[in-house]
Amino acid sequence: MTDRRRINGPSGGTLAPVYSKYITKDASTQIQRPVRSRAPNVLRKMFLKTGVTPSASGSAYLELEASKSTNTNTPGLASLSTSGLKLTCTVHGPRPLPKSAPFSPHIILSTHVKYAPFATRKRRGYLRDSSERDLGVHLETALRGVIIGDRWPKSGVEVIITILEGEEDQWWGDDRGRGHVTAGEWGMMSVLSGCITVASAAIADAGIDCVDVVSGGVAAVVKGQGKNASVLVLDPVPSEHEEILAAAIVAYLPGRDEITDLWVKGDIGNKELRSSSYEELADNAVQAALGSHRVLVAALKETADMKLGRS
Amino acid sequence: MAQVTSVAVPGQLLGPVSEYQPGPGTHVHNSNLYASILGPVRKLNPPKPAGPQKRLTKITPAVPAALPTLSIERNISAASQDGGSKGKAEILPEVNSTVLCRVTRITPKQAQVAILVVGETVLDGEWQGLIRVQDVRATEKDKVKIFESFRPGDIVRAVVISLGDQSNYYLATASNNLGVIMATSEAGNAMYPISWKEYKDPETGASESRKVAKPF
Repeated sequence: MTDRRRINGPSGGTLAPVYSKYITKDASTQIQRPVRSRAPNVLRKMFLKTGVTPSASGSAYLELEASKSTNTNTPGLASLSTSGLKLTCTVHGPRPLPKSAPFSPHIILSTHVKYAPFATRKRRGYLRDSSERDLGVHLETALRGVIIGDRWPKSGVEVIITILEGEEDQWWGDDRGRGHVTAGEWGMMSVLSGCITVASAAIADAGIDCVDVVSGGVAAVVKGQGKNASVLVLDPVPSEHEEILAAAIVAYLPGRDEITDLWVKGDIGNKELRSSSYEELADNAVQAALGSHRVLVAALKETADMKLGRS
Repeated sequence: MAQVTSVAVPGQLLGPVSEYQPGPGTHVHNSNLYASILGPVRKLNPPKPAGPQKRLTKITPAVPAALPTLSIERNISAASQDGGSKGKAEILPEVNSTVLCRVTRITPKQAQVAILVVGETVLDGEWQGLIRVQDVRATEKDKVKIFESFRPGDIVRAVVISLGDQSNYYLATASNNLGVIMATSEAGNAMYPISWKEYKDPETGASESRKVAKPF
């Protein structure tokens, strides 16, 4: 469906101009791919805060730190800026269902995930596209297993996530003909994991009954240094890796040791590459989810203390 | 009797079912009590039997001791002094809860109302309710006429009798203390109740019939 209500930019996206005087062959100023400086089992630093939207019944904001470019002496080009992940989530409800809706003995959950038009290097449209709807469906499955629906009969709750800064699917330098095009959409994995964590915080802020707080975690198998070598990393940043072989995202309930959503993408279990198994990948994603769960619990305790007027 | 122990996050283990009773804001899983919302945990000890026990005239099995109830308060901002609108948690009308509502529309068979207040809590959204003609009054139900009981704009105190159908809660005013508590006359003046079935306009002197709630 095309958007006829707004004046849209070019569909293919645009790049800021890179002037030829900056494109030097000097190796020291050559723009390089950002390199993962964390250990394979270390997550990015996370900022999480609830109660950011006063008009909503519950809201939360999540930010992951941006990866640093390795050589800092390159000229300050706007197109060099690396982005982290920035998400806001608002929860509206429980509120009455529309008159046309049939009777429901439990709460009706609806989720909307939307990239801001400026969220990624390639500009997004104003209408939700298929990948955004995909994220919404995954988020809904992840949250449905957590909410105690029968405590809220005849009501609906809406979870709306706006992605202010999204994860890139690959390093932008790979766009320009250099290297081969990878399978793509790896950025969606860490976006979904962030969405799950931030939605969980916002739902707890709204006071909707939950079985546990669900948190998201990503693990990936990336191409290593040597030939046919692969490394398992937690919380991958797609732009930092030349090639991601496979990635998994889980929505995990630590209290019950349950997984409400699992999404694995890529090629794995290849004998020649001696890569890890699906189980190993999922287990590592659970470890990543446990990491974000600790941040989530700390943020929620802070919220409760603030509301109680203790701090 | 209520004492605050600590802040719980959803999914936090509160204790075994053998020691506590589940209250609001908690749930039971694998015979353990867990928190299901964010907030301070309150422990409410069971009321002790008052006064000295009567002399036993017969031998009865020992009554199992009542367990303390653990609950999590939903409206946690009410505990703070400022008591602003932020953090006000939404609650739903339940069966047997007393509600205040405004009559929006009447037909010979029913009165359509919008529920505004449940118990002591003002709601954010407007929930639809329905008072059917047979639920207006406890006696002489067949003689009830809706237009002699309610008019659009009246504020009614009612009790929820059912979660109802897809859009409406079913309410009843079949009790002395339930019925119209605020009404305006056809001239637009606020009226005062003069009997169990009449309101009077102080300016025009005309009286209109309503199902009047008994003032406390």
